[in-house]
Amino acid sequence: MTLPSERMLPRLFLTLLMAVLALAGWQWHDGAPLSANLMDLVPGTAPDALELKAEQRIQEPLNREMLVLVGHANRQQAIAMTKKLGEQWLASGVFEKVQWNLQADLPALRTQLLQGRLAMLSAADRQQLIEQPQAFIQQRVQALFDPFTGFSLVPSQDDWFGLTGRIQNSQPQHGSVQLDIGSGALVADADGKSWVLLRARTSGNAFDMQLPLKVAEQLLHSREEAARADVQLLAASGLLYAAHGQQQATREITWVGGGATLGILLLLLLAFRRLRVLLAFVPVLVGMLFGSVACVALFGHMHVMTLVLGSSLIGVAVDYPLHYLSKSWSLKPWHSWPALRLTLPGLTLSLATSCIGYLALAWTPFPALTQIAVFSAGGLLGAYLSAVCLLPALLKGTDLRPAQWPLRVAEFLLSVRQALLKRVRSSVLLVLVLAFCAGGLWHLTSKNDIRQWVGAPPQLMSEAQTIARITGYQPTSQFFLVRAANQQQLLERQKALGERLDLLVKQDKLKGYLALNQLVSMPSEQQQVREALNKLPAFWQPLLDLGIPVTALQAELAQLQALPVEDVAAALVGPLAEPWRPLWLGATDDGVAAMVSLQGLNDPALLRVQALDLPGVQLVDRLDDLNHVFAATQISAAELKLLSCVLIVLLLILPFGVGGALRLVALPLLAALCSLASLGWLGQPLTLFSVFGLLLVTAISVDYAILMREQIGGAAVSLLGTLLAAATTWLSFGLLAISSTPAVSNFGLSVSLGLAFSFILAPWARPSAHAAPVAEPAA
Amino acid sequence: MRSRGLMLLLVFSSQAFAFDLQQLSDQLAKPSVIHGSFIQEKHLRALPQPLTSKGTFVLAKDHGLLWLLKIPLQQDYRINAKGIARRDGSGWQMLPGKSAGAEQNRIFLAVLQGDSSGLQRDFELSLSGEAQNWKLTLTPRSMLLKQVFNQINIDGGELVQRIELLETQGDSTVLRMQDITSAAPLSDAEQHDFAE
Repeated sequence: MTLPSERMLPRLFLTLLMAVLALAGWQWHDGAPLSANLMDLVPGTAPDALELKAEQRIQEPLNREMLVLVGHANRQQAIAMTKKLGEQWLASGVFEKVQWNLQADLPALRTQLLQGRLAMLSAADRQQLIEQPQAFIQQRVQALFDPFTGFSLVPSQDDWFGLTGRIQNSQPQHGSVQLDIGSGALVADADGKSWVLLRARTSGNAFDMQLPLKVAEQLLHSREEAARADVQLLAASGLLYAAHGQQQATREITWVGGGATLGILLLLLLAFRRLRVLLAFVPVLVGMLFGSVACVALFGHMHVMTLVLGSSLIGVAVDYPLHYLSKSWSLKPWHSWPALRLTLPGLTLSLATSCIGYLALAWTPFPALTQIAVFSAGGLLGAYLSAVCLLPALLKGTDLRPAQWPLRVAEFLLSVRQALLKRVRSSVLLVLVLAFCAGGLWHLTSKNDIRQWVGAPPQLMSEAQTIARITGYQPTSQFFLVRAANQQQLLERQKALGERLDLLVKQDKLKGYLALNQLVSMPSEQQQVREALNKLPAFWQPLLDLGIPVTALQAELAQLQALPVEDVAAALVGPLAEPWRPLWLGATDDGVAAMVSLQGLNDPALLRVQALDLPGVQLVDRLDDLNHVFAATQISAAELKLLSCVLIVLLLILPFGVGGALRLVALPLLAALCSLASLGWLGQPLTLFSVFGLLLVTAISVDYAILMREQIGGAAVSLLGTLLAAATTWLSFGLLAISSTPAVSNFGLSVSLGLAFSFILAPWARPSAHAAPVAEPAA
Repeated sequence: MRSRGLMLLLVFSSQAFAFDLQQLSDQLAKPSVIHGSFIQEKHLRALPQPLTSKGTFVLAKDHGLLWLLKIPLQQDYRINAKGIARRDGSGWQMLPGKSAGAEQNRIFLAVLQGDSSGLQRDFELSLSGEAQNWKLTLTPRSMLLKQVFNQINIDGGELVQRIELLETQGDSTVLRMQDITSAAPLSDAEQHDFAE
């Protein structure tokens, strides 16, 4: 019963398996080539290097820093706990820098203020100096007597005109955080508690998979410790989202993979009643191995999301052995190699159509989907090869005596269908189905948002919002990129943008923004200040009246005149410049560039308008760009789907003829349409992911149509084969629907719906009994 | 043994009779309203003569402080829990709450009101003298304050009489309170100023 070639196949396959295992071993030799960075999954839309650099600057603190508020009704207790936690964190080795108190370097501050007297003066102070020198001097006299102006960092005799005091007082307030002068801590009061700010910056690189988990663990310990002292911690960091994503992915791989595995094994045992039939799981394992090796070989790494979605491959891979195992209901006695020979053409067609379906995903601009496509195609090939070359040898001599109840279920289902067809003709049913589809599609709404990729945990979200409310720090991912030929022009352009943003702030559409022109004025403005100072001797009599020697004033004036024009790089050196430092991008190929960062954005749509007709100013809004890419991809995905159907039709013409091929593809398409309609009726939005799911289902369900058309071993046996295949596939994809990542669950839901409809429609793959019998393909 | 007994006696007696911070706080917190005038001298290193200014003040326990500068220029200030305000043509204008300045004013208010618990957080306090003639010395504890103040000296009797701030940069400020009385209640105008 076994051909000589069939004796060779297992050995050849085992050699291949060894080679692939060796490759896998080499790929994993220095750590798991896994990645959890969300940005790996989305298309790269940033076209030029400068934009990319700017984006990384904005992203960096999100991915490396953690912001924590330590809250207690008693300020001193909150500070004490902050100090304690800060020390523990620094000792933990997870963080390279932990900061909770301001170690103000006053000498450096003084130097910066004195050096920046021409360049750092605010617009209002500059205007007063130029236009109302008399009032300017008057205010200075007043300030000298004022006991409440707060201490000036620079002593009066070094700055008789009070320029440093004005600069100090015009510094933008950063949120509602105040300095606790005793401890140097930054404290905000809200909700009846004092909240002390604690910032931590992680050591090590951001691509370390363990880092987010370590940070989350450290935070958890600290939370517990703080809770014992009745202190509350609020934390915000991109790292916490990453940690949550990883934990969730691990959990879901366990649930989906484990659930699908258990379910499928149970189904196999119940249906075939032989322990050895569990060997049918070998192709699944081989498939996983081939898939991950292919993925790492092509991309250098594999994303955890690929693993989550890829775990659904279990249900598809197990279909290959089921093809010939299910023949045991009609072939008596059943022998592995002959059963395989009988089903090999169908199996091969099934591999081809599934691969076409999966690989269609690879042509979308989504790295995530390309990875899944490669993983799945590689996996299917591995599963197919092991099912064809190895498994029959392993199952040789097994005497399959399957349970009869599944067959009776299939027969019952067929009789129900017959009864239905007796009353209602197929054409009428088709009209009804189309009406159902039309109604559902009418209700279908489309929704595309990057946030579907992130299963945003409500607790992290609400903590981040609370922190934003308490501190006023609300960094946004959008920013403006400003380019110019030189610094003067750059600052001019930032000023023009700033005037528009000021309006938004006034209208409460924006909390605030940071731009370099707030720190340092244009060279031309610095020159104006210099000229205005030169005219001061005509107005400084009130200062002389106080007893200030005229020589002192003259010396100071000479000193001010000698100050060089301060450029951006020089202005960024001192401690006051810290918030602005990341904004400066420096020299570019055609000039200079800098960013303008935003705080507390309430209306993103307004931003795009601000950059219009401002030369050199560009809004960078990665999320919005991505959402546009999503929407565009949805359309190209639909086109790909049709294209893949054309390919499948072409493939099927050879064995089934044009009419047969069209019929075999029309059914999965109708099933996809029904699923779309169901989404509409269920009130679920159509997303990019549901489209991808349906794209896939078309490819898989062609298989069911082929099974039902060929009807090897009779209608009931074929339906049973289809039922088993659909059930195993559904076990793995359907479980994805429980994922808390909206994208994944949406994908699972649409595949589940598609599978159900494909199963129901599959019997129509064979023209009804009264039509002329179609020639059976060579079996 | 005898000498130890003697020492114990001395310790006990000094604790029993010395004028302590709590008593000072109680004493300064007693009057609900204080009126008085002040002379402020700002000694700047570079000037031979101090910058001298004069005016009156009203310290109300439950409301805060009115500081009315009269000479050489007229300017009214108000400090309360909300922050510091300055009067211009159209009324009281809150000054932007600069963190360091706000803290300094909190300390200033604490000094005048004898709120030693508020001061103890930021300063080492050392008190000498007796209830009618005491001297309180404040030495900054934190690095930040140490970079600004060397010391703050406060002298007083029934109430605070003299405050001296010694800045690290070499400048100093002396505030002298005179004609202090706790007899009169808040006038209508003063009540209005606090309420606004």
